[in-house]
Amino acid sequence: MKATNITPQETNDLLKMAKSCRHYSLCKDDILGCGVCPSGLEKQYVSFYPEGRMDLYAALCEKHIPVTEKCLEIVDSCNLCGKCDYPCYFTQQLRPAKVMKALKEYVSNYLKEGGKIVKTPDDELLLELKKIVGDYWATNDPAIAIAYHHDMCPHVEFKMPQYIVMPQTKEEIAAVIKLLNLRKIPFIVRGNGASSHGLTFTEGVVLDLHRMKTIEFDEKNWSVKIGAGVTAFEIQTEAQKRGFRVVTAEPSATVCANIMTTGLISTFATAYGIAGNIFINAEFVTKDGEIFDLNEIGAPNLFSYDYKLEEAKPYAICVSVSLKLFPLTADEDAVIIPFESLPEAIDFAKECAVRRIGLAISILGQEFMSSFMTPTKNLSKEARDVFIDKLGMKYMTLIIGDTYDLKCVREMGKPVIDQKLFKTLLLGLPSLNSSGCFELLEGLSSDEPFSFLNIEQVNDLTEMALSPSSSQIVQDMDEDLQPFFKKLFERPEMTSLVWLNTFRIISSRFCREKPFVGFVSYLPIDAPLIEEMQNEIKKITDKHRIKSELGFITPFDFGKRCVWEYDLYFDPLDADELTRIQQATEEAGALINKYCEKTGTIRQLRYIVNRGYCRMENLLYI
Amino acid sequence: MANRKDKYIVLTGATGFLGAFLLAGLLDRGYQVIALGRSSTMKLAERLSNLVTWLNIGPRQRLLPIEVDFTKKHFGLDDKAYSQLCANTGKIIHCASDTRFAERNRKQVMESNISNLASILEFAEDSQAEHFYYISTAYAVGVCEGICLETPVSLENNKFTNVYEESKAQAEDIITKGCNKIAMPLSILRPSIVYGHSKTGRALKFNALYYGVKSLSYIKDIFVKDIVEHGGTKSIKWGFNINNDGTLYLPLTVYLPENGAVNLISVDYFVEATIRIMEQGDAGIYNITCDNPPNILTISDYIEKFLGIRGIKTICKPFDNPPNPAEELFGRFFEIYRPYLSDKRIFDRSHTKSVVNDLSTPPLTYDIFDRCMSYAVACDWGKIANFPK
Repeated sequence: MKATNITPQETNDLLKMAKSCRHYSLCKDDILGCGVCPSGLEKQYVSFYPEGRMDLYAALCEKHIPVTEKCLEIVDSCNLCGKCDYPCYFTQQLRPAKVMKALKEYVSNYLKEGGKIVKTPDDELLLELKKIVGDYWATNDPAIAIAYHHDMCPHVEFKMPQYIVMPQTKEEIAAVIKLLNLRKIPFIVRGNGASSHGLTFTEGVVLDLHRMKTIEFDEKNWSVKIGAGVTAFEIQTEAQKRGFRVVTAEPSATVCANIMTTGLISTFATAYGIAGNIFINAEFVTKDGEIFDLNEIGAPNLFSYDYKLEEAKPYAICVSVSLKLFPLTADEDAVIIPFESLPEAIDFAKECAVRRIGLAISILGQEFMSSFMTPTKNLSKEARDVFIDKLGMKYMTLIIGDTYDLKCVREMGKPVIDQKLFKTLLLGLPSLNSSGCFELLEGLSSDEPFSFLNIEQVNDLTEMALSPSSSQIVQDMDEDLQPFFKKLFERPEMTSLVWLNTFRIISSRFCREKPFVGFVSYLPIDAPLIEEMQNEIKKITDKHRIKSELGFITPFDFGKRCVWEYDLYFDPLDADELTRIQQATEEAGALINKYCEKTGTIRQLRYIVNRGYCRMENLLYI
Repeated sequence: MANRKDKYIVLTGATGFLGAFLLAGLLDRGYQVIALGRSSTMKLAERLSNLVTWLNIGPRQRLLPIEVDFTKKHFGLDDKAYSQLCANTGKIIHCASDTRFAERNRKQVMESNISNLASILEFAEDSQAEHFYYISTAYAVGVCEGICLETPVSLENNKFTNVYEESKAQAEDIITKGCNKIAMPLSILRPSIVYGHSKTGRALKFNALYYGVKSLSYIKDIFVKDIVEHGGTKSIKWGFNINNDGTLYLPLTVYLPENGAVNLISVDYFVEATIRIMEQGDAGIYNITCDNPPNILTISDYIEKFLGIRGIKTICKPFDNPPNPAEELFGRFFEIYRPYLSDKRIFDRSHTKSVVNDLSTPPLTYDIFDRCMSYAVACDWGKIANFPK
């Protein structure tokens, strides 16, 4: 049956784009201040957001699911406003609005050609689920379920859930769990509906906690209690309005789930810590459907931690967390210090952490000065060529702090990219390669090529050389989107190192070039150990022809420990590369396990998942 | 085995600046040349073919490229290929060199200029070559004053301006001992700073003299852009402006340790002298340098005229006032070449003159300077698409 007027080549391109969605839910938060898909906001299920519609389009094209009632509702609710293009293009250089349009055309043509609408009748379990959460918030329609059935993880077996349930309260969750236990139906929980690391798949029921959006500030007690569906961007925005900071991760990550799975990895861990350091209390529903909070006398002791080299089973569902509020100061600023070698960067970051200099410290890998900083893939290549290849800025240490912190950093005598220069470089990116100065810098003598940063008037010189402007930075972007992005880049926060890193806006570009498998561990901030591990992993990835790089390193706990991420990149649409990444991942995992056993001080994230509400000291030192 | 007269000159570094022009000169004189070179992303044969086309030189059948690995015994060639190479070898000219000055490149420079000598000297012995020619540098003599004789360098208590000089001095020592051991005639040729062809302006690499011009050209562009496109808000505060005659007033004071000269020779002089020494000279050391080198004032006049700028001056004491941005930036760019801009050393050329008495480097007139720099600009400093890489 011909279901579209689009040419086969166009369909192929659109299908490729639909399958390229990274499932990071950045279309669900208003990270650029341009508004969010109205139908998603109203209907809440992932399939009503652009992310879900990408999955739906791919599933229909490939005949994995039929055209259903919900499918029609999803298609009808999209008004093709195009808002989805902005964040998706900004972070991944994708144009989902084209897929939204193609989806509409596909269903329209299907109906014109007499295609039948498949109904999925309510069975007994669904009726009971609906009784608990309300009629609209439980479904077995595959057009809804499809958005919960896979992610970019290359080494798990994806499963299509039979039911999707969206409870709004802890009592509803408890009731759903009790019902599912009684019926012996497997279930998993998702904070924002999304999945990124292959952890949350079931053939049974998915509990999507996206509707649990409560935010209650208790400023007298420096805390804010948030529901399980509240994302990092939402709570950080509200906290900052009130003059506070909370510790959060990527903008669309739900905070409750993030703590649960990782202990919450943030560059601000340097000042605020991880796991038990960042919250005051949390509420849970146990796997038996019982509700408790951590501060109750007699509550299960989630603070303790017995680290083992095995994946921990989920103990309970976190339904709310009371986060600590941290004060902001008006003079917060940031600098980037480039390094040619990793040990130098690690030693510098460690020294800062030991001396308690800075609120947030992060050694950033090469993605930062390429993908993160640039709005397009072309510019990413140019930035890599200039910053990394020509200027030798192989590692960047980002430090956010107040006036006193940054004064100390300056006195440490390293070449520095300050806020002003960062803005110049960012908005002048398209002129980088044509400006011959950077090429000349390669020839500088005994110092690193980037020692030119020590020139007193480096800001003015760079500004004159690059002529930075919002008009210039958008030159390489799609023409029809340029007016929007020109205005966007005129906003001060879009070039502010503090804002961009507090909200993790530019790091949302991770995986734009390719998705990755990240090996994340908490470990001693020990340059030889980290370098040795990286070199050993690199040998494995080179063998399998897989690109791999440092993601980041953030010191914390007075410079005694750090969180380290090393990333293995792959193309999810390349079957051969998928096989190779699987092999590389397996071998690299085994290698890190050996280092864990050898040192006794490395805590791999894969074995922490589901245990992140522990006491930091228990996790790291016991 | 081939007859002596049929034998090849084996040349290393044929894809480098001096090596390429030397290759052209040798082929032009009817010599047959084996070019030994590293394998790279582009095959040696292809690189040489591009080079030969670009240099517009004669019959290519007299050029035989052989890809080798200097770090390996017998250059990594199999026994048959190595034996054949040895059998066909007449003279050896070792011209390959890593010419980077920066200390951070020490490891690579030392590997390239020192470690690789073992296989090359072994090859000289195995091939029983007629003569070994080593292209060194006049600056292998290190930091010294007065007359620099055409005599072996002293490694003891000698100071060097950079790792390149140091590596060349060590290499001279190693090669001298190596050749003595096998009783092989050795000539060490020490050119000073080489610029392009005096008649055609052609060059293959744009460092040294070119680097200063290139740096100032980019600095000029920065300020002109500011003045023309942005009203010069930043330039004006440092006194930079565009004069009525269209030149840029760029007040740029260059600090030099002392008044001196810049010992420059043209690449055509280097080639001619080298071939003559090869054809007529005996073993020993030859300074291929300039008898009357220009001083920095002459050079800076040329640069001002060529770039359309005014305001360059030199001082022999450190700045009293903080440098302006152009001075600071140029100072950074040119730091590695600063010691060569006020050279008071006199390079003795007695031995060289005994062979090439009628030959000397042409004086660096503005016409030659303009020709060479115009060529560099036309090539976009080596960045144009068909420029040999």
